[in-house]
Amino acid sequence: MSSRLSGWRLALRLAARDALRHRARSLLVLVMIALPVAAVGVADTVYGTSATTGTEALERRLGTAAARVDLFAGGNQVFQLPDPEDGLSFDGGGRGDQALGVDDVGALLGGDRPLTEVREGTLRYETARGVGDAEVAELDLDDPLTAGLAELTSGRWPAGPDEVVVNADLADRDPGESLVLADGTRLTIVGTAESTRYTGYPRAFGLPGTFDLGRRAQRAVLVGGPPVTWEQVRALNERGAAVASRAVLADPPTDDQLPEEVQWGTGGIDSATLTVLVLVVVMVLLEVVLLAGPAFAVGARRQARTLALVAAAGGTPAQARRVVLASGVVLGLAAALLGTVLGIAGAAALMPLFQLASDTRFGPFDVAPLHLLGVAGFGVLSALLAAGVPAWVASRQDVVAVLAGRRGDARPSRRSPLLGLVLLGGGVGASAYGASRGTAGGGEVPIAVGAVVSVLGMILLVPVVVALVARLSRRLPLPLRFAARDAARHRTRTVPAVAAVAATVAGVVALGIAVSSDEAQNRETYRASLPMGAATVTDYRAGADQDAYAAAVLGVAPDLRVERLRGIDERRAVVRFRAGDQARLLTSYGGPFAATVLVADEVPDALVDLDAEQRRAGDAVLSSGGVLVFADGEVEASTSRVVLRRSGGDGGQSATTTPAVFVAVEGEYATVQGVVAPEVAQRLGATVADTGLYLPGPVPAATAADVSEAVGAVRDSGSFYVERGYEVPDETVVVQLVLAGLGAVLMLGGTLTATFLALTDARPDLATLSAVGAAPRTRRGVAAAYALVVGLVGAVLGALVGAVPGVAITYPLTGPLSDGTGGGPSHYLDVPWLLVLGVVVGLPLLTTALVGLTARSRLPLTARVD
Amino acid sequence: MSVKHALLSLLEQEPMYGYQLRQEFESRTGGTWPLNVGQVYTTLTRLERDGLVEAAGEDEDGHERWRLTESGHEEVATWFTTPVARTQPPRDELAIKLALAVTVPGVDVGTLIQRQRSASMTALQDYTRLKRQAGASGEASDLAWGLVLDSLVFAAEAEIRWLDHCEARLRRAATQEVPATAAAAAEQVTR
Amino acid sequence: MSAVLRLVDVHRVHGEGEAAVRALRGVSFTAHAGELVAVMGPSGSGKSTLLTISGGLDQPTEGRVEVEGVDVVGLSQQQRARMRRTSIGYVFQGFNLVPALTAVENVALPRELDGVRSGQARRDAMRALEEVGIPELADRFPDDMSGGQQQRVAIARAVVGERRLILADEPTGALDTETGEEILRLLRARCDAGAAGVLVTHEARHAAWADRVVFLRDGVVVDESGSAPVEDLLQASHP
Repeated sequence: MSSRLSGWRLALRLAARDALRHRARSLLVLVMIALPVAAVGVADTVYGTSATTGTEALERRLGTAAARVDLFAGGNQVFQLPDPEDGLSFDGGGRGDQALGVDDVGALLGGDRPLTEVREGTLRYETARGVGDAEVAELDLDDPLTAGLAELTSGRWPAGPDEVVVNADLADRDPGESLVLADGTRLTIVGTAESTRYTGYPRAFGLPGTFDLGRRAQRAVLVGGPPVTWEQVRALNERGAAVASRAVLADPPTDDQLPEEVQWGTGGIDSATLTVLVLVVVMVLLEVVLLAGPAFAVGARRQARTLALVAAAGGTPAQARRVVLASGVVLGLAAALLGTVLGIAGAAALMPLFQLASDTRFGPFDVAPLHLLGVAGFGVLSALLAAGVPAWVASRQDVVAVLAGRRGDARPSRRSPLLGLVLLGGGVGASAYGASRGTAGGGEVPIAVGAVVSVLGMILLVPVVVALVARLSRRLPLPLRFAARDAARHRTRTVPAVAAVAATVAGVVALGIAVSSDEAQNRETYRASLPMGAATVTDYRAGADQDAYAAAVLGVAPDLRVERLRGIDERRAVVRFRAGDQARLLTSYGGPFAATVLVADEVPDALVDLDAEQRRAGDAVLSSGGVLVFADGEVEASTSRVVLRRSGGDGGQSATTTPAVFVAVEGEYATVQGVVAPEVAQRLGATVADTGLYLPGPVPAATAADVSEAVGAVRDSGSFYVERGYEVPDETVVVQLVLAGLGAVLMLGGTLTATFLALTDARPDLATLSAVGAAPRTRRGVAAAYALVVGLVGAVLGALVGAVPGVAITYPLTGPLSDGTGGGPSHYLDVPWLLVLGVVVGLPLLTTALVGLTARSRLPLTARVD
Repeated sequence: MSVKHALLSLLEQEPMYGYQLRQEFESRTGGTWPLNVGQVYTTLTRLERDGLVEAAGEDEDGHERWRLTESGHEEVATWFTTPVARTQPPRDELAIKLALAVTVPGVDVGTLIQRQRSASMTALQDYTRLKRQAGASGEASDLAWGLVLDSLVFAAEAEIRWLDHCEARLRRAATQEVPATAAAAAEQVTR
Repeated sequence: MSAVLRLVDVHRVHGEGEAAVRALRGVSFTAHAGELVAVMGPSGSGKSTLLTISGGLDQPTEGRVEVEGVDVVGLSQQQRARMRRTSIGYVFQGFNLVPALTAVENVALPRELDGVRSGQARRDAMRALEEVGIPELADRFPDDMSGGQQQRVAIARAVVGERRLILADEPTGALDTETGEEILRLLRARCDAGAAGVLVTHEARHAAWADRVVFLRDGVVVDESGSAPVEDLLQASHP
């Protein structure tokens, strides 16, 4: 027992000394392992800090009160978790009881408790450019109970109901000296304050009575005094209030005391998310191991002679392993420590950035020691794994060969490539199976698992590929030939680097294909609602004043042509078209018009779902008093029965049969149901009204912004829509850039690692080359050749393996809906060739050029033997 | 130098007369150890007295030939299967010279060593040149000659190595407490 | 007979001040075409430094080094590399060959580095391999050859392309007697054919193959044996 300990102590000491002696290599490993640890540490700390837990947030929600009681209109019974924000449900059915009032709350809770009411809501206010929205809160700012809900940052609290304080976001909108609400109320701004919970949205605070919130207010009561118990919370629940009680949050009831309705379990992660999480962890671990592995391999090689002598002197393979593993422990611990410290420091430094991007106010700097310990452990684990393979190789090495000075690794084993082939086949099979499931569900997980399995299989095949490349290198120029053969001879160092590059490229290619194909589907299936560049102005609320809107538009863009659209008023009526005995002609419809049936005597220009011939037929039928109807498929009829069903009041319906032109639409969707001639509407007794404005345009972007604001100024329910065709969402572009960037970084890392280590290893050979008369710049050529071999082989392999899950995932991702209603091709496939070629060809070449430019060009002259 | 056994082994092949024996000996040893006829006859007489050889009659030219007796054959066989003992090392003039040089004051031991080494090296070079010229004809006599030559080569090499070793030891002695004379000698070597 | 290699009063000092190590202290040395010169000395005597300076791998602190009449000291790194590709051949004790290349590729190395097309370079290399008697090992890797075979390949590489100066640093150190002798026989034959050879060794038997044996002690030439330096014969008054 003691010998084992002393053996470890010796090994650790050797490892520490070795690490200090080879600083560059140790630094490489440190960075390799510390970075992921730091990254996860930053993420975890930021997340922990941003998520204000129950106790931290209490002051922000409760002030100094014992509980906050949220009153809901309608008096429905409430079911809640200890923290109502975690889970809340209502007993549906609206019994219509009166909502509780402030005094009712006090009566229910008993005792002589201080109470104060808080009202919150949304109001519109005037800004320099028009109208804006703000969240407002009415509360008794002097009451000690509310202390902690808002923070005064300048000026003073309002003294009366005609004064108000606003937050920085609102002040930025430049309201002026006073806040003018939409209903004309003028309030003097006497200071600025911030909500302690939320940022990023304009807010105003005032005393009770400042804002006229009316029925739309959210009412809450802050209750002081003795703690509010769970029983009291349940009692209030029954009366239609949700309660956040300090006492309950501090000491929550057990699960069985919770109402059944909310016992769905808290914080459950569904299986899909868990799978993804596990896969991500595995992939990151794999990447770290693959990248750090070569560094340990070289270390093992340097010690090979020592280890061989140990073996020759009677040491066991276990003792040899111990020395190499010890370096894994030493570097792993150092890296984990470094990463953790960096993580905490990085989170502290970056917190302001994150706060800016978030709309909740972060809590106090929250470090979760247990989480960070887990992440650090992960770092040590990956260091151990990365050292494990070289350790195993070191203990099995041919003692004789090493003592004889023969460098290079043993013959490749037969078994692992076979296993690799099996895994690869399995992975491909899983992907194919997942693809065959299509959109029926259950296909994503096999594909994801199959992708990881394929990558693992590919890793096992890399030695074979490298050996093959070496064999084929006879005809290549000297630096490439040397690099290829040397790479094959030192597989322990080459294979992990090539595998890391290949794994990265596989991921980038697979995700790239998936994202691109998804984009392609969105692009192809996009249906324009209006002709390109045209726009509509609509208002869905009653009493829309089209003249005001038209005036507003012309006010900011006098050159635009404005047309009126008329349609059937469907607030109290529903129109249906029938043909033959078909019940429903069009599955779905809807567009930027406020009506689903337009009224006109010719086909409005705003409609896009028809071609020229159909438009002509439509014009003809409308001018002769008929109707134009959109339908899912071809309809063999020349007349249609139009039905108008009235709702409310006396109900009833009217119908008429008219000549009709049917237009079949793609995708079972059209912007409107159809167009009827004015006579038809009259015959039906339908109410015809102005339903919006149509601007044929084309509307340029700058003008569009102005029109939008002007429209919003007329009435807040007015909306303005310009057809710009399919626009690639920002997220897609960002995702593709992130993929390319990440791929480039990882590939660069892997290639540089391999090249640096190879050059260090090859010093004797480079010295021989120099002795034989190689020019000093040959070192550059050899370095570049190493980089090219590793980068290109890895990239090509990775692209081939990554293409399989990439293509497979397009089936479930972009296939037609499984309920059979969706038409379209079985999948959309768009291979982002630019990305793929860039990653497979461009990046290796770039890396090669980089290495070639930065490698030292002096050959070692005299250090010929290690 | 055992002339007696050399002659016996020559007679092992066939009966020979005195002068012939001398010729054969010299040709097989490359003339390294010249032998005069008188020495041959004296040795033959002694061998006959010891009963190892006997007269074998005359050949056509009238030379008196000798041949081995039974005991003679046995003697030859024993000689070939018995290693040469190193019990009494021959007196080595060089070793004596060096031993005296180290202890006698006023002798430049360093130069002595270097001069001797140079001379031995020259001899070694000469032997090596002879070796190059000796072709690989495959004849047994040439092989024998080669072996003898090699013995000279190895001996010269051994001497040079011993001289290197002496030099190194004397240098080391210069850094330690030694009798004044040896220290002085060592100083001369290192200068 | 011209001097292929000439060192005139060469000094080489490593480091400075207290820790300075003077590897060579005023060494003058010549090797002529057709001549094999051996350099003997204990470790630390400067014999390896003598060789590296002769080959342009190291620069002397003082003194002149001429190879085929060209002053090597003033040349740039590129030019010295060029000399090693075309005029000077090196043989070391061990780790001579690049393990990643086959025997013929190793031998062809200097030619390929000089820009000769690989087909032609390979032909030159095969010729050299035949000269040293091992053409059948052309496509073997160094790992699959014995020490003696590796050294023969190294010699082939040192002589490929008709090089005039061969520098050998303890080439027989790791070999047994018989194999070592074969290596020396090759070197000797090469010198007889017109090259100049400098052989560093600590084995007297092997040094004996040389025409001249130079003894180095502490960076100084203390003696020479064998036939007198040719210069002395021709130019008795030359210092």
